[in-house]
Amino acid sequence: MPSDPFWSNIFRRRDKEEADIFDMLKKVPIFQDLGRREFNKIESILHRRNWNADEGIINEGDPGVGMYIIVAGEVRITQVGEDGVQQQLATLTGGDFFGEQALLDESPRTASAYANETCRIIGFFRPDLLELIESNPRLGLKIVMRLSQMISVRLRHTNRLLKEARMRVKQVGEENKRAGLGRRETEGEEAGAISS
Amino acid sequence: MNQQIKIIIGLLVAVGILWVIYQIRGVLAPFGLAFVLAYVLAPVVDRMEGRGLERTWSILLVFVMAFTGLGFAAFKVGGKLTGEMVELSDGFMRREKIDKSFVIKNNGESPLVVENIAWEDVSKTQPFALLNIKDLPFEIESGGQTEVQIRFAPQSHQASENVLSVVYGQNESAHIYRLKVYGNRRNDAIDVGHRGESTGEMGALPVVFSHSGIGFGSAGSNIVTKVSTKASEFQPLFQDFLGSDFNLPALVKEHGERLTETMLGGTTVFLGGLVSGLTFVVIVPFVAFFYLKEGRRLIRTLIELVPNAHFELCLNLLHQINGQIGGYIRGQILATSVVSILAIGGLTLIEVEHALPLGLLAGLANMIPFLGPLIGFFAASITALATGGEFGVVGEIVVVFLIIQMIDNVVIQPTVVAKSVEMHPLVILFVVMVGSQLMGIVGMLIAVPLTGILKVSSQTVYEGVRGYRLE
Repeated sequence: MPSDPFWSNIFRRRDKEEADIFDMLKKVPIFQDLGRREFNKIESILHRRNWNADEGIINEGDPGVGMYIIVAGEVRITQVGEDGVQQQLATLTGGDFFGEQALLDESPRTASAYANETCRIIGFFRPDLLELIESNPRLGLKIVMRLSQMISVRLRHTNRLLKEARMRVKQVGEENKRAGLGRRETEGEEAGAISS
Repeated sequence: MNQQIKIIIGLLVAVGILWVIYQIRGVLAPFGLAFVLAYVLAPVVDRMEGRGLERTWSILLVFVMAFTGLGFAAFKVGGKLTGEMVELSDGFMRREKIDKSFVIKNNGESPLVVENIAWEDVSKTQPFALLNIKDLPFEIESGGQTEVQIRFAPQSHQASENVLSVVYGQNESAHIYRLKVYGNRRNDAIDVGHRGESTGEMGALPVVFSHSGIGFGSAGSNIVTKVSTKASEFQPLFQDFLGSDFNLPALVKEHGERLTETMLGGTTVFLGGLVSGLTFVVIVPFVAFFYLKEGRRLIRTLIELVPNAHFELCLNLLHQINGQIGGYIRGQILATSVVSILAIGGLTLIEVEHALPLGLLAGLANMIPFLGPLIGFFAASITALATGGEFGVVGEIVVVFLIIQMIDNVVIQPTVVAKSVEMHPLVILFVVMVGSQLMGIVGMLIAVPLTGILKVSSQTVYEGVRGYRLE
C-alpha cells in the first residue's frame, strides 16, 4: 500500500499535519515541558473544532471553561467598552492562544473571541485538566506548574505596572496639591480683598 | 411565546424518550447495571492509572479483584441467599391447596369397571385427597372417560408424596394402575410422565390413563393467611369500637394478598426478563469494561456533535453530571451495603429466620427515605411472626431497626449522601408508587436512586445554564 502514491500522499500529509500541531503545541508555554509520549496522552483530551467566519468562540460574561489554541485562521478578541460599544483588543493567528485563565477558575470571561475566517482551533478544558491531574498527577502537575508560572509572570508584570501607576498617581496628586494650595492662597487673597 | 413552545417541545421529547426507555427496559437492565458497576470501580481504576499503570491493565486488574471477591461471596452466600429468597417469596405467594386431575379413558369394546381407587398411604396427615369420586365401584362405558380430581392441601410446606392405586377390571381380568403424586419437592412443579392419547398406534391399549404421575408444586400455609389468623386474636378489641361489621382477619387477608400480588408479581416478571443467566454474567462485565476504557472518548465524541454555540456549556455540564452521578451512585451503594450488613447482623443476633434476605431487603429499601426503614421493619416482623415467633420478637426487631436508623442518620447519611439530592417526601412517595406500579419491589427500589440521578442532572443543567446567555 505505501507504494501507492495516492494513499502514501494522504498519510504523509496527515503525519505532517500532526507533526505541525505537535510543534505548535510545544510552543504553547503550558505544554513546553512535555515529551512526545506525554504529548500523546494530552492529545487524547484535547478537542479539535472548526469555526466559521464571524462565529463566536467565547462570549464575554459566560463562565470560562478552558483555553483555546489557534491552529489555523485568524481570531479577533473584543471587549465591550464603558460606552457599551464593542472594542477590538487584539487579533490572534496560528500558534496564539487565549482563555488560559479559565483553566484555573470558573470566573466569567473578560472578553469575547470571534473567528475572522474559517478557523481550526484546539480546546483544552478545565474538567479534562482536573481528570488528568487525577489519572496522571505527574503530567498534570507539569502543566499546572507551567500555568502558574505564566500567571505569576503576568502578575509580576501587572504589579510593576500597578506600582508605576501608583507612583504616577501620587506624583499627579502632589502636583495637584501644590497647584491647589497655590490657588487657594490666591483665592484667599481675593476673598480678603473683597471683605476689606 | 417562543420560549414556551420550546419548553413544551422539550417536555414532549423527554416524555417520548422515557416511554422508549420503559419499552426497552428489559434490554437496558444489563447496561444499567454495567453503568453502575463502572461508576463504582472508576475511582479505583483512576487511582491505579495515577500510579503509572496502563489504563487497560488497571481495569483488568480491578476486574479480577472485584469478580474474585464477588465470586467468593456468591459461592459463600449466593446459594443460601437464593434458596431463602425463593422460600420466603414462595411463603407469601403459595396457594394453600392445589387441585389437579387425571383421566381414565376406556378405548375397549366392553365397559370398564373401576373397582377401587385408594391411597397407599392412608395416614391422617397425608395431604392428598380425592375430590369427586364418591361411589365405588363405577363403570366407564366403551369409548367413555372419567376425570378423577385430586386435591393437595398440606398443613405445612413439607415435601410429600403418595401413590394412588386404581383397581379396574375389563373382560374378566383385573388390573392395578399406580399413580404417583407428589408436592413441595424442589424444582418439580409440572406434571410428569404424560402418556398422551396415542394408544391407537401403541398396540391399542384398551384402557388409557392420562398421567403416570402428578406433581403438585408448592403449596402450604401462606404467610398472609397466618398473619390474618394472628390478627383474629385482636378482632374483639376492634369490634368494640367499630362494630361487628369490621372483620380484621378478612381485611388483613384481602389486602395482604393484593399487596403481595402487586409487589412480588411484578418483581418475578421483571427478574425473569433480567436474569437470562449466562448472557447477563457475560454482558455486564463486558459493557462495564468498555464504559471504563472508552468512557472519556465516548464523552468527547458526544461533545464533538454539539454545535459551537453550546459546546462549552455541554462540555462543562457533562463533566459535572458525570461527577455528581458518580458520587451519588457510590454513596448509595456504600450506604446500602453498610445498612444491609448491620441489618443482617442484628436480625441474626435476635434469631429471626431468613435474616439474610430480610437484611438485604432492609438495606436496599433504605434507599427510599422515610418509607424504606418501615418496609424493612414490616417485612422482618411479618416473617418473624409467620415463622413461629411470638409478639415479643417484634419489640426486638423495633430495637434493631431503631439502632440501625440512628447509625444511618448520624454516621452514614451525612458523609455519603449529598444535600443536593434531598427530595420532598411527597415526591418520594409518588415515584415509589409509580415504581411499584411498573416493576413491583424492584421498581420501588430503583425509583428513588433513578429520580436522584435525574434530579442531580437537571439541577446541574439548570445551574449551569443560568450563567450563560442563551439565545
